[in-house]
Amino acid sequence: MVNDAGQLYTMEGVAAGIIMLLTAYIVVSTTSVYTTGDTHIPDMQLEQLGSDVLAMMDTPDTNGMKSALEIFVNTGNSTDFNNTFLSCCNATTSGKPDNLHMSANVTYRDANTNVITEHLFVAPDNTWTGRESAVRVTRWVQLPSGSPNYGSRAQVVLVEVLLWRA
Amino acid sequence: MLSLDFLAGFTIFMLALIMVVSMVPGLLAGLESSGIDYDAVAYRTGVILVEDPGWPAYPPWELYGEAQKDEIQRMGLAVSKETPNILLSTKVERFFEKSPSGEPFFTPDDYRKRVIFGDIPYSYNFSLNISNPDGSYEPKQAGDPLPPGYGYIRRVVKIKEPGVAEIGSNVAYQTETPQNPQNFTVRLNFSDLLGPERGPAYRIDPRTEPVNVTITNFDAYLNKTEPAAESATLKDVTFWKMDPTRPNPRFTRIPFSYDTVNSNLYTLYVNGTSDLHSLQPDVPVKSSISLVLKPAATSLFTLDQNSILDIRFNFENDPPQTNITGTHLYDYVNVTHPPLKTAVLEVAIW
Repeated sequence: MVNDAGQLYTMEGVAAGIIMLLTAYIVVSTTSVYTTGDTHIPDMQLEQLGSDVLAMMDTPDTNGMKSALEIFVNTGNSTDFNNTFLSCCNATTSGKPDNLHMSANVTYRDANTNVITEHLFVAPDNTWTGRESAVRVTRWVQLPSGSPNYGSRAQVVLVEVLLWRA
Repeated sequence: MLSLDFLAGFTIFMLALIMVVSMVPGLLAGLESSGIDYDAVAYRTGVILVEDPGWPAYPPWELYGEAQKDEIQRMGLAVSKETPNILLSTKVERFFEKSPSGEPFFTPDDYRKRVIFGDIPYSYNFSLNISNPDGSYEPKQAGDPLPPGYGYIRRVVKIKEPGVAEIGSNVAYQTETPQNPQNFTVRLNFSDLLGPERGPAYRIDPRTEPVNVTITNFDAYLNKTEPAAESATLKDVTFWKMDPTRPNPRFTRIPFSYDTVNSNLYTLYVNGTSDLHSLQPDVPVKSSISLVLKPAATSLFTLDQNSILDIRFNFENDPPQTNITGTHLYDYVNVTHPPLKTAVLEVAIW
């Protein structure tokens, strides 16, 4: 003889299942999911800032003078390049400065071998792990002839800056 | 009697349906979240401020007073559209201008209509921090305090400031035989100043920037023949424009309210005191004269790219008390132009 006992156990099971499902749903829906649609915003802000800083470093302060960027690259002054770039990037209008870090490469034509070469201009500091969401900003810089580091011929070199927030 | 199997199955189906329906709006959340909207509006506002000179361009919007404020279409701070990120100091000052009582010149509605744009009445906070060469900072700010969760953009810019023609003691401007009246002229040749060989970022443009003429060491120009003069009377300062259609001398006096003090149009200080004078001061000058001619005044003179403007300082004494004479060119040799200053602009929108 079949009685109702089996059906009651089924109902308990179903009710428990529903409660578990509901709990799981509530838990999942309360955590904000960082969708791929959002990630480009900080990237865009960082990229805009980086290219602004490179453009402003490439603007001479008085007419007819050389820009700071040209002087730093031409003389291989990586310390001042790093300091100037980061002080502009990290400056805010009020409150504490931002926490941005950078490394830089210069791509140029090697005067001896006549091959396009790349060299590390500013090495990344110890905040660089390789997993940062870094952005890359570039600027072409016109160097005059007789450069101490880039050969006697005038040339245009590509300065690439990798910028990340630590 | 309703079967329990049917009841259980129906319940599971309904729950699954409710879950699916409630998840559908969540799928679009990434595309429609307001955070992204605020960031985009902040970015757009930042671009208008640093890459656009605003509209109208001539006369530029920053010269519009309280009465014509409604004619401003767009408030951009750039020197010109060819020079993004280089801001003009007169535009910056007008944009952040506050009355002595702290009332901003532009209302929140002006900022929303002329720089932020958009259908929603966004709240905003614009701030600019100019770093001076001596290491000090010059912060400027407009808008409300920041709440959490605002859209944001930061731009690095340079600020272009007007030059000053400082005239010290110079034998070239002294005559052996002073007359009454005695005139000294400062000449602005617009075709030289606005020539194409200089970029807009380094140009002296009296139509958009104040003209600053300062005569220091005026005592060197006092008449030394006995009895030695202690001061000379500055009778008036007048503006003359070259008119190519007239015979020599081709300069005509520009009609202007010379007798009223109006610091929106010009400021004239004598002897280093803080007393404002009109352009017909009739005061004894001992040490210095400082005249700042604001672009609001030059825009009234209807000058174009080929005009020549003379600022004529007229001294009247009998017997003559000063030997100052000649024409000082307001050009790239005589005007000290300050270097561009680095600044940071932050725009927050919520």
